[in-house]
Amino acid sequence: MSRTLLDYEPVVGPDAISQLRQAARDLKGATVVHVNSTREGGGVAEILAWLNPLMVDLGLDARWEVVEGHPEFFGVTKAFHNGLQGGEVMLTDRQVEVYEQTVKDNAERLRPLLESADFVVIHDPQPAHLLAACPNRKGKWIWRCHIDASHPNRKVWNYIRSQVQGYDASIFSMPQFAQRLHHPQFIIAPSIDPLSEKNVDLTDDEIKATLEKYGIDSNRPVLTQISRFDRFKDPIGVIRAFMLLNGTVDAQLVLAGGGATDDPEGAVVLEEVKAAANGNPDVNILLLPPDAHRIINAIQRASAIIMQKSLQEGFGLTVTEAMWKGKPVIGGNVGGIRLQVHNHYTGFLVDTPEGAALRIRELMNRPEKMAFMGRTARKFVTENFLLNRHLREYLTLMLGLRRGLANHLMAD
Amino acid sequence: MPFEVKDCTLITRMAGISTAMNLRELQERVIICPEECLFHHFSETVIRPTFDDPEFHNDFAVWARRQLRDRVLAERLGIINPYKLNSLEELRLLVLDIIEERLSEVHHIPWAPPGHDFQFMQAVTVVFDTGMVLKTPEDLCELLPRMSHSSIYYHFVEARRRCDDKRDDFSNWLDGFDEDVRPLTEALGNVEFYFVALWELQKRLIRAVEKALPECAHE
Repeated sequence: MSRTLLDYEPVVGPDAISQLRQAARDLKGATVVHVNSTREGGGVAEILAWLNPLMVDLGLDARWEVVEGHPEFFGVTKAFHNGLQGGEVMLTDRQVEVYEQTVKDNAERLRPLLESADFVVIHDPQPAHLLAACPNRKGKWIWRCHIDASHPNRKVWNYIRSQVQGYDASIFSMPQFAQRLHHPQFIIAPSIDPLSEKNVDLTDDEIKATLEKYGIDSNRPVLTQISRFDRFKDPIGVIRAFMLLNGTVDAQLVLAGGGATDDPEGAVVLEEVKAAANGNPDVNILLLPPDAHRIINAIQRASAIIMQKSLQEGFGLTVTEAMWKGKPVIGGNVGGIRLQVHNHYTGFLVDTPEGAALRIRELMNRPEKMAFMGRTARKFVTENFLLNRHLREYLTLMLGLRRGLANHLMAD
Repeated sequence: MPFEVKDCTLITRMAGISTAMNLRELQERVIICPEECLFHHFSETVIRPTFDDPEFHNDFAVWARRQLRDRVLAERLGIINPYKLNSLEELRLLVLDIIEERLSEVHHIPWAPPGHDFQFMQAVTVVFDTGMVLKTPEDLCELLPRMSHSSIYYHFVEARRRCDDKRDDFSNWLDGFDEDVRPLTEALGNVEFYFVALWELQKRLIRAVEKALPECAHE
């Protein structure tokens, strides 16, 4: 069910909604087409599920289209994805041919809409070749890269660059992810939807029932890390930190995540995590289905501290979600976690399990500090990482591209 | 003439310059970076979605301290107040002078750890109506506490770049009233605005207005 701006007003305030309406005033009636590769699953689809209806609510003629393809095509785009993240992948002429032909096939269907649109936003590399397949473009084309492309595989990047160089602008989530291109590169950080199942307020009864269902003691403090069972998330480091507490803190650890069943490496890591827990009854390892958003929400809300001890991280929206729920975060000193976790204000950045154990002990012994950090974290997210800011930046960027990027831009 | 209170936000983008991994590269990039980039790293830091650094108010000083681990350089850069200079070109020359002095003092060029390069950015300021209107100087007493931090930034800090006389918007507006508001204009002119966070600046402005207009402060 799509929500309207009015639904968000009680959360973000009337001024934030007014800014959105002002930014959209000059864009009323403009055709905006978002193109990605899936309607369900993954962060991009989650963003488009709220972004598109809210743009419509603001008077834009916003559409969401999806490129279709066969498994071989998605095999190639997965290789692009991995390559942009720095993975060692091969890129053959055959793969490039499959990719370009599939996008051209999609262009046959989408061309009239895309060539006449005022703005086309292409999300990630999968549909990037559409620009080349639509030579009679009328509007501005924007490439939105959601991937951490800070250290891409050069061969993959050189090919992707040849596809995106001709766009009017690109958007990256963090400055560190940007690559050199011959057009303006904007920085728009991700955001969370405060009314989604993952973030909406829950009743105490629902939270308690969730804990009971998963065998978590609601009378003892909970430390939680929510993440896929992936070595880059360092779940074993979190267990080591918990073991280092050595009984000095009366708490339980919850490691909860999904996606292991259809991910061979995830299954291996899950087994490693179970072995590291060594049957400790205070370590709860929960393998959750991909749509367990309310369960994750409840566990986060029941936690005293949220851990995100990643060794490598994009932006780290699980950190944003935790902070929105007023929780201090002990996070790995990497990627976007550094933008969100500020030592002594919203949590602590750590580099080792020892550092994490030290900070857990410090916080558990200073409840007033935990409460202060939780309040600060919630305020920081409210001001910077909710979807109204994200939507406003899309609108003002489009306005800027339309009017020209002078020092000042009047939204009214 | 009523004063329409505005709010603002930034659209941030890369300045199109390679990152700097060490002090020598910082020097080379500062020579060529656009003025907007210098302005962003010195002045727009306060309204970006980041935490204020309690020690330093410009990105070059913060990077020198945190990534190059060079406290001497950080302190020299950190004391620069760009609003005391006549132009952004003057600011560029001062920054280069400090970097070059430091390069002549150190035995090894300081490097940032991998992944902590200095990223050169710039921004467009997007301005919004707030619907808030000041009709008389006394309205400042009631409305200043209700303004957002970004409104304070726009009218009291950023205005100095926008206006030829390098004054804030409130003072320029107060010039249209009688002589008896001069103490208020002077009080605003004495408020330190660069080396403080916006919430602190708002408090200082409120105090200055209440002191200059004691009758409305007690209402």
